[in-house]
Amino acid sequence: MTNIGLVAIGAGIAVFTGVGAGLAMGIATGKAVEAVARQPEANSKINNLLILGLALTESTAIYGFVTALVMIFTMK
Amino acid sequence: MAVSLLLGVGAFVLRSRIPLPAKEDATFGSVKKKRGLLMLAGGIVLWVFCGLFFGLFASGDKTLHVSINPERIDLLGFSVSSSVVVAWIVIAVLILIAVILRVFAVPRFQEKPRGLQLVLETAVGAVSNFTKDKFGHENDGLAAYFFALAALFIGSTIVELFGIRPPTTDLSMTLSYALVTFVLINYFGIRKKGVKGRLKTLTKPVPVVAPFKLLSDIAVPISLACRLFGNMLGGMIVIDLLYYALGAFSVGIPAVLGLYFNAFHPLIQFFIFINLSLTFIGEAVED
Repeated sequence: MTNIGLVAIGAGIAVFTGVGAGLAMGIATGKAVEAVARQPEANSKINNLLILGLALTESTAIYGFVTALVMIFTMK
Repeated sequence: MAVSLLLGVGAFVLRSRIPLPAKEDATFGSVKKKRGLLMLAGGIVLWVFCGLFFGLFASGDKTLHVSINPERIDLLGFSVSSSVVVAWIVIAVLILIAVILRVFAVPRFQEKPRGLQLVLETAVGAVSNFTKDKFGHENDGLAAYFFALAALFIGSTIVELFGIRPPTTDLSMTLSYALVTFVLINYFGIRKKGVKGRLKTLTKPVPVVAPFKLLSDIAVPISLACRLFGNMLGGMIVIDLLYYALGAFSVGIPAVLGLYFNAFHPLIQFFIFINLSLTFIGEAVED
């Protein structure tokens, strides 16, 4: 007994993982900007580390997105 | 429709008729602004005309169809998915380009690079230096493998600009890329330490953490695959929504957005893929 309404609510709850990811990425970027302001010649290294860290934390938000997609498309 | 066509062409003609005075003239700024305004108005009216023109051929498809799995094609009795066929086409085109470059362009390289040779050397040098920085052993094969993978990946996302569903939005394809990385991690680990040594790292600090380390080892290729698949599918859904919302008026705008979603974003994601693969390989080799 699956209802399209319950599937929609479940998919909406699954995408909530984006909140934590967005918050964490904002804090990380703030700290990176502070570090560059302290020592501008380490610019490229900090940039590389920042991009790597952002992509890793974004992956948890992507997990929630993929779960919601699977729920919408395979549950009738 | 005819009115908008006349207006659009008329705006462009007017713009070309206003002469541009010399740069030292005091009225330069205002004349340039008027020309720019006319060009903007002409562009918008021509866009409306194109939208109305293509609206004549509109099919009545009013719902948005998105599916996670691509459609299957029947090929000589096997049922293959369309991503595999598109990937084969991309590989054929890449091999053709590589053969043409090798036969015609490489023998004419000079000491000081110019033009095409400079582009090629920059690209290959970037990937090669990056690989050697992170995994600094004497291995040349790894840099070559990653460059080939990058070429295949970039080729398959550029295909989306032509409207075909790219192979990287298929979970099977990204899972196969991640499984190759998993095989590489184990190959380097076993080559450096032997099979027993590789299993021994599972019990490194305390023997009781072995199941958790095993689980995190299995989670590595799965997370690599899911990250790539989720990002590419998200981009494709956004552009599909844009096409569906604009309907017949989607003449120039999705191409501009496509420049970000199909050229820049996949490059970043693929840089992350290579970076993480190298990090895990390096972690499997260190003591």
